[in-house]
Amino acid sequence: MLLVARKNLFSERTRLAISVGGVALSVFLISLLLSLYRGWDEKVGGYVEQANVDIWVGSTGTRDFLSAASIVPLDQTATLNNIPEIKVWAPIIVRPVQGIKVKFPERTDKDAEGEKMDMHFVGYDTEKNIGGPIKVIEGKDKPGPGEVIIDKALAKRYDVHLNDIISAGGTRWTVAGISEGGDFVVSQTVFVSLTDAQATLRMPNQATFIGIQLADGVNPDEFTAETEKQIPQAVAFTRVEFAAATRDIILGNILPILLVVLVLAFIVGLAVSGLTIYTATIEKGREYGIIKAVGFKNSYLYRLVFEQAIVTGAIGFIIGVGLTLSFGSFASSQVPQFVTLVHWQDLLAVLGATIVMSLLAGYVPVRRLAAIDPVEAFKA
Amino acid sequence: MSGGNGVTPVLDMIAVTKTYGQGDSAVTALSEIDFHADPGEVVLVMGPSGAGKTTFLTIAGALLKPTSGSVTVSGINLIEARDSDLPDIRREKIGFVFQSFNLLEALNATENVTLVMSASRGGSPHRARELLNMMGLSHRLKSLPKNLSGGEKQRVAIARALANNPDLILADEPTANLDAARGREFMLLLKQIAVEMQKAVVIVTHDHRMREIASRIVWLEDGTFRVDVATAKDPVCNRVIEIEGAPNVEYASLRFYFCSDSCKDLFAKEPVRYAGRGG
Repeated sequence: MLLVARKNLFSERTRLAISVGGVALSVFLISLLLSLYRGWDEKVGGYVEQANVDIWVGSTGTRDFLSAASIVPLDQTATLNNIPEIKVWAPIIVRPVQGIKVKFPERTDKDAEGEKMDMHFVGYDTEKNIGGPIKVIEGKDKPGPGEVIIDKALAKRYDVHLNDIISAGGTRWTVAGISEGGDFVVSQTVFVSLTDAQATLRMPNQATFIGIQLADGVNPDEFTAETEKQIPQAVAFTRVEFAAATRDIILGNILPILLVVLVLAFIVGLAVSGLTIYTATIEKGREYGIIKAVGFKNSYLYRLVFEQAIVTGAIGFIIGVGLTLSFGSFASSQVPQFVTLVHWQDLLAVLGATIVMSLLAGYVPVRRLAAIDPVEAFKA
Repeated sequence: MSGGNGVTPVLDMIAVTKTYGQGDSAVTALSEIDFHADPGEVVLVMGPSGAGKTTFLTIAGALLKPTSGSVTVSGINLIEARDSDLPDIRREKIGFVFQSFNLLEALNATENVTLVMSASRGGSPHRARELLNMMGLSHRLKSLPKNLSGGEKQRVAIARALANNPDLILADEPTANLDAARGREFMLLLKQIAVEMQKAVVIVTHDHRMREIASRIVWLEDGTFRVDVATAKDPVCNRVIEIEGAPNVEYASLRFYFCSDSCKDLFAKEPVRYAGRGG
């Protein structure tokens, strides 16, 4: 690094702190929003993507997992048994419900109930084990009659533990297990047996979806059309399509807002670093004139300014990323919905944005430098 | 090209004219001037304000190209040089000493000197320290300009001017911001540099004290060098002025000349105070 650039930068600590602070704030906001987006992206589509279902079948009009009002009559699905490409299939019932943690199980009055919880009831065939929990981390791995397996995000958010009682759909359930991988951020999965789900939600001989596992070697992309032919009024999705559509429902509305905030964060960083670098350059205009007078070319001065801008950007980037990592984990521990996931690719992109920010911040003062007349050095 | 004594001049200006603007608004700052400075000599360029001294200095310093004429520094024709080459010529062949010291505030004394050293000289702090030691600043090597006195700053500026061992030193009012003692000390230092290091030192100044070290004095007025100019020191502001046409008064059988009526008025109010300083 050029001596003058380094000295100029570090000789004015307050200005440097403001400049670096602006970039760091910008990097922090950008990387935090990106990691939040990544975190949500992974959570929201994670269950659909990881469940052992190759093809999801719903009634016509079904678009995604969460907002599904799908009803598939099970008396129309018998033909699936005759298709050799299908290894196994099973009904899955999914309904958003509001549950309540029961504080005093021995009582039945309203005061015995605690906080209300948004959840997605998932009833699945525990024998065929299609559409069940991704991974059980505590307790039983299959819910028995009157039992539920709840997602750990729900457990953490509402302080629910094994053997606690929750009330949902007019029934009380015992928490028999805790799983992970079923967090949709806005709500979490609660797994019950298919029989219990059908009884509680009054859906006899019906399902929300049919989950299909294909025989080895069958391409899901080529088999969705065949599935739709077999079940009247049905629509079929590969797991990738269904996960993408589910993500789109949650994140599709957030993304434009996120982009606006990202742009604003970039502008804030650019404005703060640009202004401080610009004022520093203007204030040192006479010194730059002297440097020109004693024999340095404009290109040297441009390097001076750009190096100062880049170093400011680099320090701001390091601090901003540090803040993101520390604040992200702290916020996640305090607010379960604050799910962040830092990808190195995103950090590279933020680094790129920081470099662009720094170069833009240096560009305006550089133009000013070109106009400085070295003869100014002779003025007292 | 050769100076009057057969020595090749370090700075040689022939028929140099500089005109700003065009047409009716054109102003001629320098008109057909000839000038040379040889190794080992100190040449003072004096003259009233607006005489063209700064234009002269900037042309001699490769900061400005003349409208016509020829300028050669250490054998390099500045007129033929490309604009993009002028910075390198300034850096390698010319040392500047400015009135306001013009040190970079964020750099210490050594760094201010090292900065201008060419890459070929490695930007060596060793040579910078050597030069600063030579200037009597061995105890100030790490000091920032804000912690140096005016005299010390000007000596750092001299060390910076000598960093690339140029043949020509151009100084613009180098003693203007120094008190009498520091000014004299600095003056003698310039003389020593000219003689011992065989540099051509060209000084633009109003300071009459500098005449003491001058090998030659030239008078620049209205863009031309004048010869046989009778000068005197204004006893109020200490400027060297041309006698002809200057406001003057007689006091205690001596005639005193002034740069302006305001200096003359000040003298008239306290003649005893000023009378011992001019004439």
